[in-house]
Amino acid sequence: MEIKQQPTTAVRAMIDRLSRRMIITGAGALAVVWIVAGFLFPDSWAGVLLGIAASPSTHTATLRLAVPIALAAIGGIFAEKSGVINIGIEGLLIVSAFSAIIVTFWLGSGESTLALSHHWWGLFAGVVASTLFALLFAVVCIEFKADQIIAGLAVWLIALGLAPFVSRIVFDSPNTGNVGTFDNVTIPLLSELPFVGYLLFDTPPQVYLMLGSAAAGWYLLTQTSFGRWVIASGENPKALDTAGVDVRKVRYTAVLLSGVFAGLGGAGFALGQLGTFAGGGETDIQGRGFIAIATYLFANYHPLGALGGSFLFAGLDALQIRLQAAGYAVPTELIRTIPYVTVIVVLVFVGRTTLPDAAGENYESGED
Amino acid sequence: MTETRTGADETDPSGRPSTNSDLAVHLDGITKRFPGVIANDDVDLAVERGTVHALLGENGAGKTTLMNVLYGLYEPNEGRVVVDGTERSFESPRDAIETGIGMIHQHFMLVDTMTVAENIALGNEPRKWFGLAVDRDRIDQKIHDLCDRYGFDVDPQATVSDLSVGAQQRVEILKALYRGADILILDEPTAVLTPQEVEGLYDVLEELTAQGKTIIFITHKLGEATHAADEITVLRDGKSVGTVDPNQTSQDELAEYMVGREVLLEAEADAREAGETVLSAADLTVEDARDVEVVSGIDLEVHAGEIFGIAGVDGNGQAELIESITGLMTPDEGTISFGGKDVTEWSRRERIAAGMAYIPEDRHERGLVMSFDLVENGVLGSQRSPEFSRSGRINWDGVRDHTESVIDTYDVRPPDADADAESLSGGNQQKFIVGREFERDPDLVVATHPTRGVDIGSTEFIHDRLLDLRREGVAILLVSSKLDEVRSLSDRLAVIYEGQFMDVTDPDDLTEEELGLLMAGERPEERPVSESTTGTDSSMDATGSDAAFGPETGDTGGESE
Repeated sequence: MEIKQQPTTAVRAMIDRLSRRMIITGAGALAVVWIVAGFLFPDSWAGVLLGIAASPSTHTATLRLAVPIALAAIGGIFAEKSGVINIGIEGLLIVSAFSAIIVTFWLGSGESTLALSHHWWGLFAGVVASTLFALLFAVVCIEFKADQIIAGLAVWLIALGLAPFVSRIVFDSPNTGNVGTFDNVTIPLLSELPFVGYLLFDTPPQVYLMLGSAAAGWYLLTQTSFGRWVIASGENPKALDTAGVDVRKVRYTAVLLSGVFAGLGGAGFALGQLGTFAGGGETDIQGRGFIAIATYLFANYHPLGALGGSFLFAGLDALQIRLQAAGYAVPTELIRTIPYVTVIVVLVFVGRTTLPDAAGENYESGED
Repeated sequence: MTETRTGADETDPSGRPSTNSDLAVHLDGITKRFPGVIANDDVDLAVERGTVHALLGENGAGKTTLMNVLYGLYEPNEGRVVVDGTERSFESPRDAIETGIGMIHQHFMLVDTMTVAENIALGNEPRKWFGLAVDRDRIDQKIHDLCDRYGFDVDPQATVSDLSVGAQQRVEILKALYRGADILILDEPTAVLTPQEVEGLYDVLEELTAQGKTIIFITHKLGEATHAADEITVLRDGKSVGTVDPNQTSQDELAEYMVGREVLLEAEADAREAGETVLSAADLTVEDARDVEVVSGIDLEVHAGEIFGIAGVDGNGQAELIESITGLMTPDEGTISFGGKDVTEWSRRERIAAGMAYIPEDRHERGLVMSFDLVENGVLGSQRSPEFSRSGRINWDGVRDHTESVIDTYDVRPPDADADAESLSGGNQQKFIVGREFERDPDLVVATHPTRGVDIGSTEFIHDRLLDLRREGVAILLVSSKLDEVRSLSDRLAVIYEGQFMDVTDPDDLTEEELGLLMAGERPEERPVSESTTGTDSSMDATGSDAAFGPETGDTGGESE
């Protein structure tokens, strides 16, 4: 479906004048002013902010907070590139995070079965739960040709209700018990490297999973034949069909992959960062699945770009948390709007995000 | 007419058709039913190896259905599919591809954002590293070899959306060859090509058959069938009429076979003086949604009682030009006047009310609401006119009467005002839109591809109605990719190329070759560019059989003895 754009005069002209380069230059100049001011006046706002931004603990927190966003975004890329917009990715994060915690709790944290710590079994359970939810979504969208947006919202709403409901039965409270978090995995020698050592090689396992998944996602999408089929399925499914590839299978696989990646993100976040899961309100996931969608649009569906984008948004979150801790009252709600505002700015001013041509459209073979 | 029906007539004593080993394809008694329709009724088709075989018929005659059966998209209800002497039963196109059948669809099956190489290898990528990566070098090498062998010039690394339509078609053919196709099915391959590109396609077909490939060429254009094919099988209403040798038949005879009755070959049209200016555009410039200038400073004037034609390959700015005139797009520069008033800023609704009728290019997207019935569709565009609406309430009885008269006059089938628009065939949907728009009592009719997908009989009728309106003094702006249609109907003809008029002239002053060159953006050198003349003293003699068979695009050289 093509929407013809009516070039409305004033707004359009203003946007044209504010070119992409000007925005980048402007943002760069602001950053330089901030850093210089921070150095000169360490006690000022700029100085405190600079101090927090430069501290290793902020960097470590950024990586950990990026886990659910990056992995959900990579999953979302596969689904949407194949033509199925998975707006329910937030629900997948909730389901996997909750299942991971509750399974670890049931098995008993701190112990192990078959020489594998129960945290790992919990992670596995989270991925399985999320994948099953993704399967449900795929069946509804691909088999029964439901509207993808509505089905996605349903996945989110079901997860939003299910997690606190089960938690109330088990724990008599919407919040689960605490199971503790993953220990850091320290890689000898590499962790001694200056600057990057503590960041990349002395970190909990979910961060390794995130980095590995981003690389694997990039490879799968750009280097393998399956990746090409995913892209073709989202751009022109009929072309793929006539080339003898089953569009349904490709889309099922892509949506299930989104479940696996989102599951790793949700379960990894819960077991590596939270240790417990608060199912009340918007849950502990706090809209990170939606931020993930904003992130991959911002990155124009590039898995590595999505990883970078998740660092940006997680970094702002880490900054905000530390500012709160330092006694500065920054409204969290305002910080949370930043990813969405960024995406709107990117879409309007830069306009480099190109949605797959057949995204959101159900496909039936043999239909003319 | 010498009928050389191969196939079912050549039966051996046991009553079963012989399987001639020289036949690349033998379809025997194929019947394919859809709910309520028999698309193919006991159709036989025998195609010799190394030949071009045309499958000729009107829209809806069952040509594409028959080929979809051969290609494994449909399973026949009855009949046998024999390929290279072996009976086959294809579950899916994949089976057909493995048997060496390739299909080049009318709408190309290419992923625009991918490269030529990625498209050609799609679904069949050679792999390396234990299947972990696509072997790009091997794809490029194989494409290179194919290009060398068949004399193609295609850059494997080019992005498909950057290629011309002709080049995209060659990519489609390469895609089939890459998969090892020996039998190529081309569905209406010339519909989107310029006359020059059509010539190029004929050369490609010749090269392919010279190397032993077999071609099945689906077309509804007589000239193409007689020019390119070694044998022609004519389909009508889902039945095979017969197989003929093009050298031993005439176009008239073929036409009769296609339609089932004698066809009126002359469209009568009298010369007349053009009246006052009804529509004029000055220095019109339009940018599309991507801010690319697609219409660049066009001036035009359409007079009462005149048909002003615009010829050109699709996508050269026609759509945007027309949408600015009808009020669906806002031009970036320039003015549009209608009936002496500046209407540049007028809304679509105001333009309809002022007497501008519009037959849109895309009948699904713009012309009809597919899930509405014909009564509801019949009032679209007039929902606010006092005739059908009073204080916001629609007078459905009045609308129904009006719709039924349109259905009756324009022979819309089935004649059921309660049928949903989507249940009608494309040709009948088109007739309905044409009727609805013509019956608005307009001062200006903007008609884009008014006979697209319409059979010969209805095409004649629509052409006659256009000429009637012209006689009544209505101004008509006609856009069509069918060259014969715009040439024979227009009093003045503009050729559009990349958003500019290459020339505005009397269509009789242009040969088909010159028209083809103009459409490809080249000015014929020997002819000075004539100023746009408003005179319509040209006789409107239809150009023989071609005029009656409007759907003939660019069969250049086909019949030029």
